[in-house]
Amino acid sequence: MVCPHLTYREAEKFDTERAYCTITGEFVQPMRADICNDRYDLAHDRHCEIYREQ
Amino acid sequence: MSYQSYLDGDPVIVTAALTGGVHGKETSPHLPETPAEIGAAAAAAEEAGAAVVHVHARRDNGERSFSTERFQEIDDEIRARTGDIIIQHSTGGTGAPADLRHQPLRTGPPPEMASLDMGPLNRYDHLTSENTRGMVDALHEEMTERGIKPELELFNDGHINEAHGLLDRRDLAEPVYATLIFGGGTLTRPTPPNLLNSVENLPDGALFNTLGFGPHQLPLTTMGILLGGHVRVGLEDNVYYDDGELATNEQLVERTVRIAEELGRPVATPEQARAILGL
Repeated sequence: MVCPHLTYREAEKFDTERAYCTITGEFVQPMRADICNDRYDLAHDRHCEIYREQ
Repeated sequence: MSYQSYLDGDPVIVTAALTGGVHGKETSPHLPETPAEIGAAAAAAEEAGAAVVHVHARRDNGERSFSTERFQEIDDEIRARTGDIIIQHSTGGTGAPADLRHQPLRTGPPPEMASLDMGPLNRYDHLTSENTRGMVDALHEEMTERGIKPELELFNDGHINEAHGLLDRRDLAEPVYATLIFGGGTLTRPTPPNLLNSVENLPDGALFNTLGFGPHQLPLTTMGILLGGHVRVGLEDNVYYDDGELATNEQLVERTVRIAEELGRPVATPEQARAILGL
């Protein structure tokens, strides 16, 4: 399950939509985006301190 | 490899770590992400004096990719735009399953070099990149089969023990090539005495490459040159040229080349680097 606080947004500095955290109000690092998306062996509810501590 | 190598003016191999897999364009607009951008950055780094490019793969939106196909696209761009630079693929991948970690080794032709993370390191607050001995051995096995030179990445002094252990378990082609990594968190604390100590504890005959994160890139790579080692610079490890001033990969390589030559060590061409590394 993808993190409920993940959205993809456009910005002038990017050519494509990028992962954006609605808790921090910032675009996220690409490696953290894999956590947001629960990709590979990663899960936002286990590995993301922002989600766990909100 | 020692201070005598400095006194003798031995060539220094400059590796450019162009992009990495952690931060992206949200950190610096200069960070290359697409195959075409990485290829162009490799060409600029080669022109500036880099002999090796360390390569990670990304999707179009900058997020990580581990697929052979994406590495192939990047290699094709690099080869089309550069002369003779050595391609080194990353096999790192926090949270990526083992089968994906092998994917970067399967391009045609294979990369001449690939990184081999020698043990665990923490990421963020609740995540560890495991890099078990089993995974290290399996990656090394495939590198050996494909004729790929491993670049042992030693994130802390415990990983120096792991390098000795790997040499006890397996036959590594000489010379062993190890990158000493300095920074925060799980990494070796970035201080000059720790670089001296790490060099002292390497396996006999090993060549070393110095990598310092952030503001430690410039001082510790300079020290590595004085100690007779090789160096890695680039936006994967440090996005700033000076306080608050964003860098390009090309600028970081140019500065390192200037310092090495000023200190009396010429920069190795790709051909010289191949001879030094036994590729």
